[in-house]
Amino acid sequence: MAGVSAPSPMDEKAKRTRDLLASFYTNNSNTGSGALSSPATASNLTPRTASSLDSINSSSFDPSSYMSLLVQKSNLENLLQKHVQMAAEIKNLDTDLQMLVYENYNKFISATDTIKRMKSNINGMETNMEQLLAKITSVQSKSDSVNTSLFEKRGHIEKLHRSRNLLRKVQFIYDLPSRLNKCIKAEAYADAVRFFTGAKPIFEAYGDSSFQECKRASEEAINTVIQNLQGKLYSDSEPIEARAEAVVLLKQLNFPVDNLKTSLLEKLEDCLLKLEDESKDVSVGEISKTFRAYLIIFPDSEQRLIELAQGLFSRRYDAARDQLKKRMPSVDLLELLRTIWEDVTAIDQVLPEAALPAFSLESMCSIIKQHILIAFSHLQHEISDAVAGSQSKSNEGKEERDLQIVLENGKKVVMQGSLDLLVEFQQFFDEKLELLPKLKELITDWVQEGFQEFFQNLEKHFLILSGSSTNNGPLGESSASDHLTQSPDKLPTGLVLVMSQLAVFIEQNVIPKITEEIAASFSGGGVRAYEYGPAFIPGEICRLFRSAGEKLLHLYINMKTRKISVLLNKRFTTPNWIKHKEPREVHMFVDLLLQELEGVGIEVKQILPCGVVKRHRHSDSAGTASTNSSRSHPNVTREDKLASSNTQRARSQFLENHLAKLFEQKMEIFTKVEYTQESVIATVIKLCLKSLQEFVRLQTLNRSGYQQIQLDMEFLKAPLKQLVDDDDGAIDFLLKEVNNAAHERCLDPIPLEAPILDKLISAKMAKNRDHSAIPL
Amino acid sequence: MQGGSTGIVYGGLKYQARCIADVRADLGHTSFLAGTLSLKEENEVHLIRLLPSGNEIVCEGLFYHQNEIWDLKSCPYDYRILSTVYTSGETYGASIWKIPELSTQSNSPQLEQLVSLDEHTAKIKSVLWWPMGKHDKLVTIDERNIFVWNIDSSNKIAKVISQESVGMLHNFSGGAWDPHDRNAVAAICDSSLQCWDLRTMKNTNAIGHAHIRDVDYNPKKQHIVATAEDEFGIRLWDLRMSKIPLKELPGHSHWTWAVRHNPEYEGLILSAGTDSTVNLWQVGTGSEDSTLDSPQSRRIRQIDPLLNSYTDYEDSIYGIAWSSQDPSVFASLSYDGRVVVESIKPYTQRK
Repeated sequence: MAGVSAPSPMDEKAKRTRDLLASFYTNNSNTGSGALSSPATASNLTPRTASSLDSINSSSFDPSSYMSLLVQKSNLENLLQKHVQMAAEIKNLDTDLQMLVYENYNKFISATDTIKRMKSNINGMETNMEQLLAKITSVQSKSDSVNTSLFEKRGHIEKLHRSRNLLRKVQFIYDLPSRLNKCIKAEAYADAVRFFTGAKPIFEAYGDSSFQECKRASEEAINTVIQNLQGKLYSDSEPIEARAEAVVLLKQLNFPVDNLKTSLLEKLEDCLLKLEDESKDVSVGEISKTFRAYLIIFPDSEQRLIELAQGLFSRRYDAARDQLKKRMPSVDLLELLRTIWEDVTAIDQVLPEAALPAFSLESMCSIIKQHILIAFSHLQHEISDAVAGSQSKSNEGKEERDLQIVLENGKKVVMQGSLDLLVEFQQFFDEKLELLPKLKELITDWVQEGFQEFFQNLEKHFLILSGSSTNNGPLGESSASDHLTQSPDKLPTGLVLVMSQLAVFIEQNVIPKITEEIAASFSGGGVRAYEYGPAFIPGEICRLFRSAGEKLLHLYINMKTRKISVLLNKRFTTPNWIKHKEPREVHMFVDLLLQELEGVGIEVKQILPCGVVKRHRHSDSAGTASTNSSRSHPNVTREDKLASSNTQRARSQFLENHLAKLFEQKMEIFTKVEYTQESVIATVIKLCLKSLQEFVRLQTLNRSGYQQIQLDMEFLKAPLKQLVDDDDGAIDFLLKEVNNAAHERCLDPIPLEAPILDKLISAKMAKNRDHSAIPL
Repeated sequence: MQGGSTGIVYGGLKYQARCIADVRADLGHTSFLAGTLSLKEENEVHLIRLLPSGNEIVCEGLFYHQNEIWDLKSCPYDYRILSTVYTSGETYGASIWKIPELSTQSNSPQLEQLVSLDEHTAKIKSVLWWPMGKHDKLVTIDERNIFVWNIDSSNKIAKVISQESVGMLHNFSGGAWDPHDRNAVAAICDSSLQCWDLRTMKNTNAIGHAHIRDVDYNPKKQHIVATAEDEFGIRLWDLRMSKIPLKELPGHSHWTWAVRHNPEYEGLILSAGTDSTVNLWQVGTGSEDSTLDSPQSRRIRQIDPLLNSYTDYEDSIYGIAWSSQDPSVFASLSYDGRVVVESIKPYTQRK
């Protein structure tokens, strides 16, 4: 449109101008909007119509209504003002229009001028063009003539050039030997090989005729090259790159490199073998370097190298396993494993394809597992040594003193040994070795399994030691000779007791402790399938040892009673009871019996705890107070007891009822054995007395025989009570039962009179006192 | 496991007693013979019968027997014939008796002595009948000798046909006759069990180092015996492999006195002991409890072999007997003279 190129200050103005022009050209297009505001509706003007009335620039502007509205609305002053404003605006618009017309006219004039100038310029061009064409044709003809004149000479030059090149090549071939030698001198083998391979096709084509001499010479030279290269390859001192290059060159010369490779690898293998023999002479670092070199030198040798590396480490692990066979501390094992592992990582960096870590993991697994197993079996040996080994050392008199020591030793070995093992295995976890954390669960399982098996084996071992689970020669009860021949297989009875107590100790102390420790540091695991549950089941082991302890205790009691039974059997089967002589003294079998029982007492007292006095069976027993008091005052012994028994005698009626009640309640003699001195001794005594009763029942006695038994039993009362508190009256009862049995089996049961009985007993006691006084 | 007082008690024996025997030949009745052991009084033999209702025992006959009875056996083919071994003071003897007609039971008749087996020079221990039926021979064992008699009970003749001494070093204390082999007798010696062949009268086999109180052949399986021992409780042996027992059972808290196989139910064993209990054991089941029972299979069987322990006794029990008429019934005799008849039905049905 118009040349309104002025920026923003002129914007307002330009816009208005454009609008005005636009409204001018499109006058009739939209007048409808202004017709809306008819004079009829002017009285109630809406703001919209008012505004449209105001907008003087819109196309629907109605000057007459605008006027009337203005006149109605404004006062004179306003009208005057409006008038001035409008007059100014009109003037402005006038000048704007003038400016527009002027500008357009100017442009028109300058366009006319330009057209005129163009016309005059084109007139001279035609002649210039014709001149130019003539000149170009002349140049072309001249160049053609030159070309034809030079053509012959150019062909000749080309020929000359070709023959020169050929000559140069021939020269090269002839120079080759000397050049090669020069290269050899300069050790530029690469160049030599390049030259030779370059010349090779020629030698192949013409080597037999014209270049024979030359070929031989250069082949000689190249042989030297090959030799040198081989030497280079074999020498370890050369840098790896040089050696690799040598191999490449040799290969280019079609030299059989594979032979070289195998020979080199064999050398390496020898070297590795030597490494094991004179361990540590060659460090693994060097080996790994060699490996890397070979890997670079012979890229296709990897398979072989892998084999070599695996062979090396499997030998290392085998060696470690060999060392395992003797018990070694975990620390040493770890040290060993660590060195191997370091070597493995070193080689692994060079040779990752060998999968050495996986291989090591496997090997370590088995080694550690084996280690754990060995550790446990070793511990078992230690324990059995502690228990059974002492037997050989202290065979005779010392043995009894040693029982307690043996027990303590056994306890210590079991407890300390197990804990030590745990601590030792703990080291596997503390170790920084990279592999071990992976094995943690496995190790946990192994340790748990190890303990489980260890305790199971220990229990079996105990039973085998005690001879109760095997049939190694039952003892002939009646024949002492049998007893002697069988005894070497058996442990001393005391040791059975020791093992029994040890089993209890394991059940009550060791297992809980171990369980605790395992829970603390070896929990988890769970590599094992879930249906198997945890590997270490303390409940099961406890049960095992509880029953083992009981078994051993019973075995002990059995062994003891059997011995006494032999004694009793002799006593009752040898004499002719029907022709028994009048009793003159207490029979000496009583001494033997008491001696055996005391032996039991001595053994038992060393090992078993002193039991609390059990009253629950007969809490209303008359003897309670007296036995307790005699217990608390060890100095006040038999007199007090006799006194208390006197008070008991006063209540004999009660006692008899009591005994009758006992009888009705069935005998108390087969009560459960407890792990106390009293319980064991009492059980042995009860069983012996019961046997005594049964032996008596098998005989037929005359009066004297009956009296003898009466006397013996009467005598036994006091010493038996000394051995153990007869707190439930069972021993009294059984002594009486023996008496009763004798009474029943007697043809003429008239008991000895009390004074004679007393006299004989006190005589015996006096004799015993003398007897015991002498050795003291 | 503790048996209550389920048994039927017969308290008719007035004195101590050791011997009770099943009356095998009394067809149709569950009967037992029991003999007393009293030094001073006149002893009795009671023929007792379990009524068909199964809950009452009656005394079918009471016969006086002058001397105390240490061994009592019923003839396996004639219910009216029985044998006793007795002592009186220093004297001893063994006889075969015939029970008089039962119609005169009211006045306690004397037993009719058929034969007195009085060739013995040492204390007689036991009289053995061949347990499976009629056989014209009888074996007696005294402390030193083993006798084989030819018996003709109808003519009241007994003849010793062979005799062998065991030697001075040993004492016999009892024995059992192999039900599978009429020529084999197991005799209990001091420290062994000896098997005798009655044809040659030679000791053919022995289980050594065993102090045995009682022995019983398995009536269903040849070569298998059970022994009751002081040390090892009850052990089962195959006589062909006498080194190692097939099985061991713990036995009793004190001596195991007697052991008996059930005549019908395989593997059921009854034992009695001086701890006043009778134990019922179950060893193995059926055919797998074979003679070639390997140690492995023994170990596998972890079940408690003790089926029940009958504890309702007040004194040592020396006599037990299964009834061959009703194999689910046994009688036990404690020293105080009480006979208790128990049914093991609850345990046989459980299988």
